Formats: sequence, C-alpha cells, structure tokens
Amino acid sequence: MTMLECYEEVVGRHEIDHLRRLGERLAGKRMIHINSTRKGGGVAEILEWMVPLMNELGIDARWETIQGNADFYKVTKSFHNGLQGLPVNLRAKDYELHLAVNEANAQQLNLEADYVFVHDPQPIYLPKFTAPGRVGRWVWRCHVDASRPDRGVWKHLAGALPAYDGAIFSMPAFTRPLEKPIFLCPPSIDPLSDKNRLLPESERLATLERLGVDPDRPMILQVSRFDRFKDPLGVIQAYRLVKSAHPELQLVLVGGPADDDPEGAEVLSEAMESAGNDVDLKVLMLPPDAHRDINALQRSAVIVLQKSLKEGFGLTVTEALWKSKPVIGGACGGITLQVHDYQTGFLVHSPAGAAYRIRYLLRYAEKRQRMGQTGHEFVRENFLLTRHLRDYLSLLLCLDNPGMDVLAA
Amino acid sequence: MADSSFTLFDCSLVRLATGRSCTNLRELLDALRTAPLSVLEHHLLRCPLEDHFELYEFPNDLARWCWDALGERQLAEELALVNPYTVGVKELRTLLVNKLEDRLWALDRVPWCRPGFELHLLESRLISFDTGERFATLASLAQALQGLSRRSLFFHVHEAHARCGVDDFSAWVERTGGPPELIDRIRAIDFYFLNLNQLRRQLLEAFCAQLTEPQVVLGAVR
Repeated sequence: MTMLECYEEVVGRHEIDHLRRLGERLAGKRMIHINSTRKGGGVAEILEWMVPLMNELGIDARWETIQGNADFYKVTKSFHNGLQGLPVNLRAKDYELHLAVNEANAQQLNLEADYVFVHDPQPIYLPKFTAPGRVGRWVWRCHVDASRPDRGVWKHLAGALPAYDGAIFSMPAFTRPLEKPIFLCPPSIDPLSDKNRLLPESERLATLERLGVDPDRPMILQVSRFDRFKDPLGVIQAYRLVKSAHPELQLVLVGGPADDDPEGAEVLSEAMESAGNDVDLKVLMLPPDAHRDINALQRSAVIVLQKSLKEGFGLTVTEALWKSKPVIGGACGGITLQVHDYQTGFLVHSPAGAAYRIRYLLRYAEKRQRMGQTGHEFVRENFLLTRHLRDYLSLLLCLDNPGMDVLAA
Repeated sequence: MADSSFTLFDCSLVRLATGRSCTNLRELLDALRTAPLSVLEHHLLRCPLEDHFELYEFPNDLARWCWDALGERQLAEELALVNPYTVGVKELRTLLVNKLEDRLWALDRVPWCRPGFELHLLESRLISFDTGERFATLASLAQALQGLSRRSLFFHVHEAHARCGVDDFSAWVERTGGPPELIDRIRAIDFYFLNLNQLRRQLLEAFCAQLTEPQVVLGAVR
C-alpha cells in the first residue's frame, strides 16, 4: 500500500484525488527542501513525510541539509531565540560566520531545481551564494513566531529576503510586513503517527496502569513542557478549585525532560511541590519518544487542557481535538484558531475560568461528546498533513501564476 | 455533441497575509477605505471556506470580529446583513465604510480588542480544477452531493455566483431541461447565510424532493 493510500483511509478518497490533481499540474518539477538537520525537531518531522508524499505525487522532490560547526549552530540558536523576541547579543563576527557557512554550503549542494523551500533561518542566505538561474523560485519557510523579533537578528535575516519569491508563515499573527507575498500555512499532525494513531484498548489500559492513572475515574490532562508560559501551576490551581465538587477527578500533567533547560527544571520542581502528596495529581516526566504513552493519556482524558499564557500554534491542542476531546485552552497564539467556545472547547483567561469550564464539561457529558466530534472533524478538515501538502502544492501553482486566481483545469 | 453531464470541480484556497492588522474600529475603517479589493473579497466572500461550525452566527469575518473581539454588537448585526453578492465589490467598500462611519459617529469611545484577537487582513487565491468526475442524472448528482468536499460546494455555489451570478447546480439543471421547481428551489437557497454543511443539506433536500426514490440517495448517507 502506498503512503497516499494509507492516508486515504483517514481523509477519504476526495482529499487524496485532490492532491493527485494538483500533483499532475506539477509533475516532473524539481523541488528541494533545505533545513539544518535530518533528526529531531518539528521541521525534520514534517519533511520525513512531506518529501516522499511529494514524490508519490510525481514531483521530483529532494531533501538537503546544510552542514555547520558548533559555533554556527550556537549563532543560529540565537537567531531562533531572537526571531521569537528574546533579546540576544550577537557580534559582527557571528553574522559573518552565518554568511560564510551559507556560502560554503551553497557551493557544495546541488541546488538546481524549479522550487527551493528554505526552512527557518539557518540556510536563509543560500540564494545570495547560488548562481543566478539555477533555482526557479526561492521560498523561505519560517516555522516560528517572528512578529516581534530582536531588531539586530531581524535586520540581518531580512537582508536575505529580497532574493526570495515568497515566504510562508504558520499564522497571520506570526508574520512581519514583507515586500514579498506572505503565504499562510498552519502546521499539521500526522494521523498515522504513533502519537495520533488509534491504539488497541489493551495498550491504552496497560499504559494507564503503568503510569498509575485510574481508568475508572475521570482524568483531565495537560501535555506540555514545564515552562511558565504553559502555566502548569495555574492548571493545578484550576484542578483544586474543581476537586471539592468532583472528588473522583484526577489530573495528569505530563512533559518531557528538562535537563537542558534550567528554568524548566525549576518549573517542574514547583509543580511537584504544588502537587504535594495528592495521589490523584500526577506530574509525569516521560522520555521524548514516549509518543504512544502520550497518545494513550490523551485518549483517556475526559477533557484536555492547554492553559498557556503564551503559545505558538499549539499542536498538543490539535492532537487532543483529533482524539475527540474538548479542549480548555488559554486565549493566546494558535489556541484561539483551534478552540472555539461551545464548539471545540472553551478559551479561558484564568485558573478560575479553567475551573469553571472543567465543571461545566464534567456535568454535561453529551456536550463533551458533541464538542469532541466537532473538534475531530475540524482537525480532519484543517490540520492534517494532507491539508499541509495541499497548501504547499497550491502555493507552488500560485507562485507560477502571480497575482491571479488560477484555473488549473 | 457536447457532453451534457455536470462537470465537478474542486478548489483550494491559498491564503496570503497582507502584514496589516486591526486592533480597533478606527483601524478597521481605515483598512476598509484603503485595503485592496482582494482583501474585502477574502473577508466577505471567501470566509465560508473557513467557517466550520453549525452554529456560527455570522456569514463574514468583519461581523464576526466586531461581535467576538470588539464586543460591538450593533455593528456586528448590521455587517451580518450585508450580502456581498447583491452589490459589486467597489460598492461594497462604500457600503461598509458608511456603516462604520455611522457607528463610530454614534460612539463615545472607539472599541478595541484584547491582544491576540486582532483582525489580520488577508487576501487569497483560489486554485480550481476539474476533478474528472461527471454526473449525467439528477439522482447521480444528488448522491454525489453527500460526499463532495466543502470546497467543491463553495466553488459550485459561492464562486459560481461571483463568476456568473448563479450557482452551477441550478444552471446545469436549467441547461439540461430539468424540472423548473428544482431550479427555483435551488436558487431560493439563501446560501450566503448558511455554512457549507447546511448548504449541502438544503441542496440535498431540494434534489431529493424531485426524485422518485429519494431514499436511495438519502440511504447512501446513513
């Protein structure tokens, strides 16, 4: 069975036919995706399925990565932070190193293609060092919120943008005014990945037992890093406000290890201290590849929370909606695009607000169910990888026909 | 002889940010005066493609933003009644500007939205294409309606109205000498005030009323 046929079982024949039709218009076109790593991180996860699916659709797609030394990656990590608004302190030689590594990679890589998608800031200066005419269209794909960047970092990166034919951002709030077309393409989840696929009931129950969660009592869940912006203490506060009315309630806070993040370790310790010896409140630290455990927890929750104070797109919300769970989310970032009051869950602004909505949803099982169904369909329509692929194919057609609606009959 | 079957199209929407957003009613007024017509077109005509909810109250982004983000209920109600298919896009700009000017004139304070609830001005491109599917009879088209993508419905109703002033379904029924009652019934559907799933149901009801065995079509849904 081909990859597309596997996804057809999830999204339906029309959706896959749609992709095939768009693919026919682009058949034989050469496309390169470039980023800085093949392992780890959201971009590599996307390219792992994006490139083979494009090839299945007849596009000659390749995935290249740039190479750099440790100093280069330190500088680009600062770019990453600076793009997202953290103040960074870079010197002229750091910017020069970035340019030099881009130049060296441009000389080594075979970049002859009709379209090149450059992902994030690490390879952003490749067009400057690539001979004219080798690439049909350059597109910069920015995966982070660049709306309020560090001024110095933005000044440096913006210098690369005149060479591009367009840029792609995940949502309008993440963009900056540019002279080029700014395409919008939200991220997506893979419904067949370990984190999102259906699990055998026996595995789900075994996971709950192993993690000490009672499968017979309602459980609410937040999956997120231990980060102040995710407000784990606010979630605990909300749980405590509900617990007296619903003594059977359990709360699970689950996140990944925070060894490389001193503040994360601090927030984790505060969360554990706040949990105290409440046996119904679990603060779990799972390894980064515990996707099936996360899946089992999400499928077992009656309500999923993402009570963030600041958020990117919030793919944990997407994952929960896909599993037909109502979501109570902080009214920020991409959560506002996914959580719609009384439709897929509730947006809240305080621990009290979260507590109130938890009580509401615990009381109305049929509303939970209806919101869960709506959320599942909402994700099917908008946030699965097939939509992501459709967006990319459609915008390639747009690039070839600038400024007009395209009839690709 | 030309094929008289119904030719099914599908489409996808490419959304583009303009880099401009509104945080209050005055900024929206300024945007309505100066933004390209393609921005108005996106927020008034193409928003049904992004409206997923059965109970959503408003047919366009402007009314929705005024209600949800600004708490400006009176203006939202007025904007909700604007039907962009009954006026040209240029007249639409004048109409909207007048409504906002009137409202601002009557207000003591300019309504603002909270951070995170800004109206980001977008424009879009519609990529449409022939799916290769053909339907020769009312029954086969009715049956297909069940499973059509929401984007196909948008293309054959909303986009068709923008393109030629009438939806593709009733135009096809008329062209092939189909029942006049069906043509009237399809054209009477107040499509702009329905979301795409509601529109699908109304179209199905209209088709099934003409079929001798509607249960065959409806049965396929269940």
